[in-house]
Amino acid sequence: MWQRRAFLRAAGAGFAASLLPRQVAALERNELVFASAVQTANGSYGAVLLGEAGDVIAQVALPDRGHDVTISAQAGRGVVFARQPGTFAVVFDPAGQAAPVTLTSPAGRHFFGHGVFSPDGRLLYATESDFEAAQGVVGIYDATDGYRRMGEFPTYGTGPHEMLLMPDGVTLVVANGGIETHPDYGRAELNLDTMDPSVVFIDRRDGALVGQLRLDAGLHQLSIRHMAIDARGRVWFGCQYKGAPSDSPQLVGHASMDGEITLLELPVETLAGLRNYVGSVAASSDGAAIAVSSPEGNLLVTIDAEGRRPVLVDNLRSGCGLAADGAGFVASSGLGALVGIAGADRAARQFDFQFDNHLLRIA
Amino acid sequence: MRHLLVLIMLCWAGSAQAEAIKPSQVLQAAVVNVIRPNVLRFDAASRGLHSAMQALCTAPSAHGKAIADVQFGLVVASYGQIGFLRLGPMMEANRADRLLFWPDRRGIGLKQVQAILSGQDSAATEVAGLQGKSVAVQGLGALDYVLSGTGAEDLTGPEGAFRCAYGLAISANIAEIAGDLVEGWFAPDGIADHLQMPQEANADYRNETEALEALVGLVSHGLEAMRDQQLNPFIASGESPAKPKQAPFWRSGQTMTLLRGTVLGMRSLIGDSQLATAVSEKDKGLANSIDFEFRNALRAIDLVTLPVDQAVADGKQAAALGYLALVTSSLQTMVGEQLSAALGLSVGFSALDGD
Repeated sequence: MWQRRAFLRAAGAGFAASLLPRQVAALERNELVFASAVQTANGSYGAVLLGEAGDVIAQVALPDRGHDVTISAQAGRGVVFARQPGTFAVVFDPAGQAAPVTLTSPAGRHFFGHGVFSPDGRLLYATESDFEAAQGVVGIYDATDGYRRMGEFPTYGTGPHEMLLMPDGVTLVVANGGIETHPDYGRAELNLDTMDPSVVFIDRRDGALVGQLRLDAGLHQLSIRHMAIDARGRVWFGCQYKGAPSDSPQLVGHASMDGEITLLELPVETLAGLRNYVGSVAASSDGAAIAVSSPEGNLLVTIDAEGRRPVLVDNLRSGCGLAADGAGFVASSGLGALVGIAGADRAARQFDFQFDNHLLRIA
Repeated sequence: MRHLLVLIMLCWAGSAQAEAIKPSQVLQAAVVNVIRPNVLRFDAASRGLHSAMQALCTAPSAHGKAIADVQFGLVVASYGQIGFLRLGPMMEANRADRLLFWPDRRGIGLKQVQAILSGQDSAATEVAGLQGKSVAVQGLGALDYVLSGTGAEDLTGPEGAFRCAYGLAISANIAEIAGDLVEGWFAPDGIADHLQMPQEANADYRNETEALEALVGLVSHGLEAMRDQQLNPFIASGESPAKPKQAPFWRSGQTMTLLRGTVLGMRSLIGDSQLATAVSEKDKGLANSIDFEFRNALRAIDLVTLPVDQAVADGKQAAALGYLALVTSSLQTMVGEQLSAALGLSVGFSALDGD
């Protein structure tokens, strides 16, 4: 279980000292803290930091719809990124002591909803689109200097989506969804016939390409979008298929820095329930289990990472967000539900806001 | 007297109950009263266009060309009413892109069509050969250029024989796709049955909620696509000037025909299925509000009477186009969020709107 003491250790003394009394009390009552972008009951957008007991520990308003959240205990800050093709990212202080700061992507770039801090919290990396060139880039921001944009390096593909930091602390792994979009056309997918998705490993120190993995050519419309890392350092990914609905290709696989990329053979019924759409992927705390969600199929699938087989299938309407919770997971939904699955000892809760697609466990 | 009163109350209650539409009735009406008739209309218009192209190619003339142009407009109008039905047969075999490859930000389709015409690529004059080519040269966008792009005046005489043969093949391809859509929407145990009678064993719609989500999603996403792909790219916005050549069908002058058809189709899917009335008492006003906004959209469209390149430079008509973009956004919120919530659906957020 995640204890307050552990939180303070992870967050650092500065973070703890800056907590408001009400928020300290909220932390005392909570063993876990989650973060997610949300839409509130009045239709406005924001991000929330939740405790296990359901307390909203911190809340930040957003100018438009957010997507994923990343938090650095070292930086003492969280960042919620605009959903693509949004151009803002809001840096917030989970303790509520500092006013949120809104970053704007530079001209010719927009965010893709995901990002990650460096291990020391000094740098923030964000997946972005150089939309005139239809190329993905990783924007680099200096967290010690007001999140000044220091530069960028390529993702070696189009339409980058989720990005994670590998356990070595040096390598970034990026899911290039392969789909070209342009703000002039909203979220329209402009290149479905020529998509080229890939998983890339990039050295964050110089942006060098460490490796790029593609699925079989016949699967070029299988957009690789979301990822999680298991105990063996394998990168599990979930895909969204953009071809004919009747095709039903496999949607979940894993890749490694050794150059392996493979799709899991999910049973036909389970695969059908995912509706050609995986919205989120998470690893359990010990990395032994992987969970994938499909808000379109209202399905949550837990996979034994070592055995490479599904061990549990749950239903949750509009369920998408996933975060580790002990040996199991917590899932959030677009209808405001937060539930435990796969062995997580957690009572279901209902909130009066809608969770966006991703749920972050702060640890 | 007391018995009579009870009887009257029971009758009233029964009548009120009868008025409350059930999801199954909504789903049936959507398929039977809206989708199938619209697909059939598109099919008929497509065959009419093919017939007009045959006549034009057999005996090229200004009159024949004028008839083909009119038929093309009818196809665009009826396409508007089905183009947003992005499920079932439309999403198989690349039919959506083969019917209309749009948007084409890099002008790929235009370059490929021009290459076919300048190179007199004979494979493009046979349906089978055409179907082996890029989706961008097979459908309505390509035919717009053939009928109204540079050199289209050749179609009135023998010098346009190749161009006409290519246009004829496109029209045959469109008619074939239209026939496939009809077949798909009338197939036993197909999309229509699954939408009307969802069952757990179905791969697509397992219950009424999922089927209703699909319907609401069609309109919500259809509105977004109309605004982002067919309207916003060509109207002025902030400091960005209007770009009328980014309008679909600007060459043939059928831009507003497409938008009108699209709005009519979406309005019909909601109104004629009574989708927005299958809500609780407190949300009963939503149906009128949505229809009011659809009528505002149609009024704005009807104010645009000039070709789009002139309309964007005309104060009133440019304002009408800007207003149409606003109304479309408003409608998307009403349908994707308010109606979705009133129906207990989750269309507008994580599900069906993901990332």
